Amino acid sequence: METKAVNTTAELEKELGMSEQELFSFVEYHAEDAERIGYSEYSYWKSVFRNFLKNKAAVVMIIVFFAIFIFSFVALWIGKYDYQHLIPDTNLCFQSPNSEYWFGTDNLGRDYWCQVWYATQTSIKLAAIVALGECLMGVTIGCIWGYVRKADRFFTELYNIFDSVPTMIYMTLIALFIGQTFWIMCASIILFHWMYMAKNVRNLVFMYRDREYNLASRCLGTNLFRILTKNILPYLISVIILRVALSIPSTIALETTLSYLGLGLDVNTPSLGILLRNSRTFFLDYPYLLIFPAVIVSLVTITFYLAGNAFSDAADPRNHV
Amino acid sequence: MEALNKKTILSARDVEIQFSLRGDKLTAIRGCSLDLYEGETLAIVGESGSGKSVFTKSFLGMLDQNGSITGGSIMYEGNDLAKYTTEKEWRTIRGKKISMVMQDPMTSLNPLKKVGMQIQESIELHQGLDKAAAKAEAIRMLDIVGIPNPEVRYNQYPHEFSGGMRQRAVIAIAVACHPDILICDEPTTALDVTIQAQILDLIRKLQKNLGMTIIYITHDLGVVASVADRVAVMYAGQIVEIGMAEEIFYDAWHPYTWALLSALPQLGIKGEKLPTIDGTPPNLFNKITGDAFAPRNRQALAIDFKKEPPFFDVSPTHKAKTWYLDPRAPKVTQPESIKRLAQRMNEDFGSNLKHPHEDPNREAVIQVKDLQVTFGTGRKKFVAVDNVNFEIYRGETFSLVGESGSGKTTIGRAITRINPTTAGEILYKGRKINGKISKELDLEVIKGCQMIFQDPLASLNERAKVDYIVSEGILNHHLYKDEQDREDKVQQALKEVGLLPEFASRFPHEFSGGQRQRIGIARALIMQPEFIVADEPISALDVSIRAQVLNLLNDLKKSRGLTYLFIAHDLSVVRFISDRIAVIHKGRIVELSEAEELFRHPLHPYTKSLLSAVPNPDPAIERNKQLVVYDPGMHDYSTDKPQWVEIIPGHFVYGNEKELDGYREELAKKA
Repeated sequence: METKAVNTTAELEKELGMSEQELFSFVEYHAEDAERIGYSEYSYWKSVFRNFLKNKAAVVMIIVFFAIFIFSFVALWIGKYDYQHLIPDTNLCFQSPNSEYWFGTDNLGRDYWCQVWYATQTSIKLAAIVALGECLMGVTIGCIWGYVRKADRFFTELYNIFDSVPTMIYMTLIALFIGQTFWIMCASIILFHWMYMAKNVRNLVFMYRDREYNLASRCLGTNLFRILTKNILPYLISVIILRVALSIPSTIALETTLSYLGLGLDVNTPSLGILLRNSRTFFLDYPYLLIFPAVIVSLVTITFYLAGNAFSDAADPRNHV
Repeated sequence: MEALNKKTILSARDVEIQFSLRGDKLTAIRGCSLDLYEGETLAIVGESGSGKSVFTKSFLGMLDQNGSITGGSIMYEGNDLAKYTTEKEWRTIRGKKISMVMQDPMTSLNPLKKVGMQIQESIELHQGLDKAAAKAEAIRMLDIVGIPNPEVRYNQYPHEFSGGMRQRAVIAIAVACHPDILICDEPTTALDVTIQAQILDLIRKLQKNLGMTIIYITHDLGVVASVADRVAVMYAGQIVEIGMAEEIFYDAWHPYTWALLSALPQLGIKGEKLPTIDGTPPNLFNKITGDAFAPRNRQALAIDFKKEPPFFDVSPTHKAKTWYLDPRAPKVTQPESIKRLAQRMNEDFGSNLKHPHEDPNREAVIQVKDLQVTFGTGRKKFVAVDNVNFEIYRGETFSLVGESGSGKTTIGRAITRINPTTAGEILYKGRKINGKISKELDLEVIKGCQMIFQDPLASLNERAKVDYIVSEGILNHHLYKDEQDREDKVQQALKEVGLLPEFASRFPHEFSGGQRQRIGIARALIMQPEFIVADEPISALDVSIRAQVLNLLNDLKKSRGLTYLFIAHDLSVVRFISDRIAVIHKGRIVELSEAEELFRHPLHPYTKSLLSAVPNPDPAIERNKQLVVYDPGMHDYSTDKPQWVEIIPGHFVYGNEKELDGYREELAKKA
C-alpha cells in the first residue's frame, strides 16, 4: 500500500479555507455529538405499510372489496324493491336481468338485485363478527395457554379433543338441535374456530416468553396482564392481523358450504350461501342466478387471500430491505 | 520486518462496497486498500459494523444479495476479483484458492449429513478424487485438525460433536482443498475460553504445516496478540492503521487504536476509571467527511472534521491514517495505558486492595447455602447447580466465573427468583427468599435485588418506548406520587447512566448496543436496589463500549453503595472489577478467593487452565505461553471424598484430603 502524497500547506489552506494553525489545532469535544452520530431512523410499521403498498394486486383488490361493500348499501337504496317487502309472484319467475329487475328474478318471481346485495351484507357481517370473535377468544386463550405453564396441558388436550372430530359433525348437530339463526351460526363458528387462532398465538407466545426482556419484567415483578399486553402482544399484532384477514374468506367459504348443505342459515335469511343453494337446481337453465352471488363470493375471498399474503410478506422484517 | 520481503499474494486497492437497504445506499467499505503477504497471519480488528467481515467476504464473492463492489480492484493471481460477477467465476476461487471459516460452527455444518461426508464432498468437488481416495483424505483432514479417532468421527453427525470439535470440523472442510488463503471470521467468538485457546493453537499449527496465508477477523485484541504477525485496525469501513503486531500494540498512532487498547479492562487499574470511547460508531448511511473517528476523539484537530487524512508512514511496515503524524500537527503523546502495556505493568493490579474477609463488621447481603437447582424430571433430570455455598458482603463485587453450561447464570437467576430452586436456601439480609414468601418480603426483594442482562438486543422490549421500559418497575408497584414524579424519576435514571433525557420518547432499536445496555441498567436502578445481579453485562458488547459499561457499574457502586454479583466467562475482564471471585465448573464452585489472591495463587487445576487460556493483549506474553488443559478425570473421588475447605483465610477450594495437602504445599512454596 503506497502512501499518498500529502498536500502542501498552501493547497490545504485553499481547499478548506482555514489557516494552517487553525487546521492543526485541537477543537472542543462534545460528548453529546458523540452520542448522537449512531442514530438510525427506522419504523417497523412504516416499513410494513410501504411494502404492502408495493403489492399492486392486493391494493387493487382491497379497493374493489370496499367498493363492493359500500355499493351494497347504495344498491339497496337505489333498488326498486325492498328486501323486507318482497312478494312471491309465480307469474314473474325466472325473468332474465332487465330494466325492471336488474339482476332478474328468482324461481318465486322475487327481485334478485336486492336479494344479492342484502346477502352480500349478511355474509360480510357474519365474516366480520366471526373474525372479531375468533380474534378476541383466540388471542386471550392463546396468551394464557402459551404463558402459563400449568395451563398448557389442559388447553392442549382440549384442543386435541375438538380438533380430532370434524367440525362438520358439530355444525350438523348444532343446526339440528339448536337452530339456524344468524347469531347461532356466528357463535358456533367462533366456538370451533378460536382454537386455531389460539394455537397459533400460543406457539408465538412460547417463542417470546423466555426472552431476556420478559425475564427482566419478571424481575421487576410485572404482573401477567401487563407482561402479556405490553411485552408480548405488540410482537404478535402482525400475525394476528394476518390470521384475521385470512379467517374472513374461510368463514364466507364455510358459511357457503354449510348453507349449501342446508346446515347453515335458514332459507329466509339470505346469505350468499343460501342464494347459491337456492340456485343450484336451476342454474343450468338460468345461469345468472348462480353467477351473481358466485362472482361476489369469489371477489371477497380472493381479496382477503391476496391482502393477507401481501400483508404477511410486508410484515416480515427480512423484507424490509 | 521480514514481511516486507515477502511476495504479495492478494492486493486490494480502494475497494468500495455498497449495500442498498430500505431504499438507501449504505457504504460499508469506503475505499479500503490492503496488501496480503504470502504465508503471514493478518488480523483485522474492529468493532461490529466496522466492515471487517464485509471487506473479506468480498474476496470470495460472498456479499449478501443487496451488496456489491462499487469501486476499486482486488488483484489475485493476475485477475481482478472485483470484476467477477457469475457464480461460475467465483467457484474457481471459493473453497479452492480462498476459503472461509465462519463464527458459528453449528450453522456452518449440515445437521443431517455425516461430518466426514461433508468434508469428502468438498474434496471430491474441488480435487476430483474418487470416492475411496476422497474418504481417505477426509479422514486425514480430521486427523490434521486434531480430532481424535478420525475413523469413528467420520461417521458421526454434527450433533455428536462438541462446540470445539464442530469448529475443528468446519476448519477441516475449509482447508480440505489446501487453499492459499484462509479467512477466519471470528471463529472462536462463540466458544469457551479454554476451547478458544485450543482452536487458536490449531490455526497457528495449520498455518505452519500447510503454509497458508491467514486473515483472522476478530474484535478481541487478546486473540490478535496470540495469532497475528500483522494487524490492521478498521473503523467505519476503512483501515485506519496497519502494522506488525508489536508495532500496533506498543507503538500505535491512530487515536482509535489508542482508544481500543486503553479501553481494555485487562489494562485497567483497580479503583480507577477505564479510559472510554464515548458515543457510537457513525451511521454509514450518511456521508462522512474528514476522519470518521473525529466526533469521538477527545483530542480531535480541526482538520479532522474537514479532510480525510492520508496514510503516514511510521516505519516501513507501519502506517496510520491520522493527521497527528503530519509534521504540521501539534505534538500528541500516546496515552498512559498504552505505555503501561509496553512496560508490562499490567501484572501489578493495585495497591488499594480491600480484604473483605478481614472486616469484622461485614454484612452479608446475600447468603447461598447448599443451593441445588435441577431441570427436568425423572430420567431427564439435569443437575445445573449442585451444593453451592457463598456469601456476598455489602459493597463488594463478587464475580462468578465459568464456562457455558457451568450453571453460573442459573445461580444468578435463582437469586432473582426467575428460576426455582430444588434444595438449599438463599438468604437476603438474613431472610429466606427462595420458595414461597410473603407479599411484603416479595416486594422488598423486588426493590432490593435487580438484574442486568447479557444481550442488549434481547433484553429490551422493542415495541415499547424507553420511557415505559425504564419506568416499568415503579409502574408495577406504583412507587411514584404522580405522573410528573414518574417522569422525573425516569429522567434522573437516564441521566445517571449517561443518556440524554430526550431519549425517553424513543424506541430501543434507535440505540446502539452500549446505549441499550445502559437503558437496561437504568431500568434496574429506578427501583433503588441494593444488590444487582449482572449477568455477563459486557460480553455481547464491543471493546470500546465495554469500558463505558464497566465504568458505569463501578461509579454506581461508589455513589450508591451497590453490591454486585457479576457473572462472566472471562477471567481477565473480571479481575479489573471484582473484589472476590468464585470459579464454577459443571454446577459446582471449585475455588473462591479474593481477586488478586486467585490470580497469584490459583490452586484448583480448573482455575489454572482457565487462567492459562485467557488471551492476553500482549504479543510477547501470548507467544510464549503454555496452555494448561484441565481433565476432570484427574480427580479420584472414589474413596477419598472431596469437601469445600477454607484453605487459608478467605481462600476456599474444593478437593479431597490428598489434593488439599498438595494445595497447602503449593501455597507454602509460593509464600
